[in-house]
Amino acid sequence: MNSVARCARGARVVLIVLVIWEVLGQFEMIGQGALPAPTQILNQFWIDRSDYPPHLVVTLQAAGLGFVIGNIIAILMGAVSARFRFAETLFRGVGVTLFAVPLIAIVPVLLLAFTGITPRVILAAMAVYFPTYIATMNGMRDVDQRLVDVVRVSGGSTTDILRWIRIRSAVPHIISAFRVGAPAALLGTLLVEFGGGTRWGLGTYLLGSLGQANPSRLWSIGLVATAIAASAYMLFSIIGSRLSKTSTAATVQTAVPTGAVSGPWWKRLIAGVISASVVLGLWAALLALLDMSPIVAKSPLAIVRYLTTDPRASLSRSRLWDAYSETLPLAVIGLLCGLAAALVLAVVLSLRPALGRSVLPFALVSQTMPLPALTPLIVLVFGRDVLATVVVCISVTFFPAFVTISQALATTSPAAIDVVRVSGGGRLKSLRFVGLPGAVPAMVTAARLAAPRALLGVMIAEYLATGNGLGNLLNESRGRLDYGMIWTVAATSVVVAVLITQLFGVAEKLTRR
Amino acid sequence: MKEVAGGALRVQDVERTFALKDDVVRALDKVSLVAPGGSFISLIGPSGCGKSTLLRLLAGLEKPDSGSLSIGTRSPEDMRVAGRLGVAFQDPALLPWRSVWKNITLPLQVMGKVVKEYGSAIEELISLVGLKGFEQALPSQLSGGMRQRVAIARALVTEPEVLLLDEPFGALDEILRRTMNLELQRIWSARRPTTILVTHSIEEAIFLADKVAVMSARPGRIVEIVEVPFERPRHPDIMRSSEFHMLSDHLSELLFTGGGH
Repeated sequence: MNSVARCARGARVVLIVLVIWEVLGQFEMIGQGALPAPTQILNQFWIDRSDYPPHLVVTLQAAGLGFVIGNIIAILMGAVSARFRFAETLFRGVGVTLFAVPLIAIVPVLLLAFTGITPRVILAAMAVYFPTYIATMNGMRDVDQRLVDVVRVSGGSTTDILRWIRIRSAVPHIISAFRVGAPAALLGTLLVEFGGGTRWGLGTYLLGSLGQANPSRLWSIGLVATAIAASAYMLFSIIGSRLSKTSTAATVQTAVPTGAVSGPWWKRLIAGVISASVVLGLWAALLALLDMSPIVAKSPLAIVRYLTTDPRASLSRSRLWDAYSETLPLAVIGLLCGLAAALVLAVVLSLRPALGRSVLPFALVSQTMPLPALTPLIVLVFGRDVLATVVVCISVTFFPAFVTISQALATTSPAAIDVVRVSGGGRLKSLRFVGLPGAVPAMVTAARLAAPRALLGVMIAEYLATGNGLGNLLNESRGRLDYGMIWTVAATSVVVAVLITQLFGVAEKLTRR
Repeated sequence: MKEVAGGALRVQDVERTFALKDDVVRALDKVSLVAPGGSFISLIGPSGCGKSTLLRLLAGLEKPDSGSLSIGTRSPEDMRVAGRLGVAFQDPALLPWRSVWKNITLPLQVMGKVVKEYGSAIEELISLVGLKGFEQALPSQLSGGMRQRVAIARALVTEPEVLLLDEPFGALDEILRRTMNLELQRIWSARRPTTILVTHSIEEAIFLADKVAVMSARPGRIVEIVEVPFERPRHPDIMRSSEFHMLSDHLSELLFTGGGH
């Protein structure tokens, strides 16, 4: 009965939203018809229905293949890292890089190096790697020590512990990583398709429809992409809840996740140098393996030369500098706006829990959207200027931040709140003295999660729409066959993104007590 | 039902220390103990007296710094690898994704046995611990007492020579604990493995054991080994006898004075 009532309330909220949307659309109240009504979108989808299959087939194939390959690699690496600390140090750089990299920056490089469906598969694989890697490693390492003892007292070896305990313990974690990975794989595929050069693909279709003055078609494609991502997300959610129904801890969990690299600063420095060298080494090794022309493919050293000893080095440097000074401030503004909006909404909803129950489903659905790939829709509504860039940025940072902060506010110790309440404090006071201070680490975590996405959001907007900054520099350099610049933008944006994430990582350690 | 007479258990001058940040804790200091084959020994003592450490040493999960332990003629490590030990901890430590039946078969699988051949033995074991009808239930669907019974059945499935119980009923309420004590007595009488029971409860220690070894903390030592004279099988009524009370008073005196007499 309770769940029926909850469904009814959910359905009511969805219905209200749809009605408002329909009214806004029918009377062209937003961006002169840039937001069509749901019925108009549905109608357009019906008209275009025969156009979809060839695009869908290619995109699904690439995203699916990338999803499988990326996850297999991630699970193997995660398993090895769980077993050997040294391997974790080795692979750490790869993980952090893939977590932070603005995927769009890699697109031109991939298009240079590969043809056909391959670039899409690779970017999809890169997009899914990190969450699965972390889930596998932590899931296999942080198992309940008492279960391990049970196997050991039966005469079990390390292999037995792996077979009976570790693998099975990691499965629920890995499934929830798959859940996050499915939309990410689709995003990776769509971004490559935005890069152009292919006839078929949902991204190509979306981008090709951008100039046709047919908002309904754009929205229809965007919603189809969302539906695909959402159904993959749901599929893994169902599998996950089936599994966790059987693995609800019947014993108290004592395992504590271990910090990544601990110890004195010089140890961390060495670990950092090692993991960075692995990334650089992999890069150089891949180039050698692919046997690409040095004119097109640039090694790490070639990029250093491009920026220092090359005759046009100073020009390249100043163009790069200009691009960064356009992109980074926007990313920071977008990040701050996204975080602020997330904090405000999370606080409001924690004070009005009933409201929260209606909004939270939307926040969860939005997690399944390949949001950065919906940039064309945002451009359609907000135009091609700075506003659109910031909105893209907010849209990609808001929801992960909102979810992280809400969870922190929701898990505030009830006992601590009671202390405030018996002292005569109300909801606002408990928020001020208990909730907000408790949520500070979550805000830093949210910032760390959202920062790479903010950079990605700005770059996509620049790449597709505004013609500014790094995204545009990438685009221009492709047109001018300035291979050095293409690689340089890719490499430096990775470095910048990694540095920002690490910075927030340090801040996180400082705020977490 | 097959009777398993367990091997004798010998602990000789065992020492074990743990290094903390700026302190060394002597968890066990020259501990010696003998348990004849098929006997039941309770280990009782204050927190931190090293009783759980002693049990982990007997289970071959850790090694002593000095001294020796043997079960029959073999080392605990050998016995562990051979799968001749049964262990149950304070926490049932069940695999949450496995049913009752499959949790009980785990030690057999780890030992590489063909589980099918043990079907009737497992059925018998499940009815012995009173879980008939719950074979396919998951741990999360069971009460605390039932989970603990699964853990004990799992400890018994390999027909171990030695049963090591580390406060298996510590998390249960007093009423449930008494019921479980009766069940444990019944199970032990049926198979007679040499059993070491670590406990906090004086009543439990006396009710079940042939001998109660009282330990003191810091350093962990055995202060006295007290014989329990009651006939088996024991009825709960003996807990109201004056003999039981005298024993119990004697043990609490040992515990609360730290054996300083």
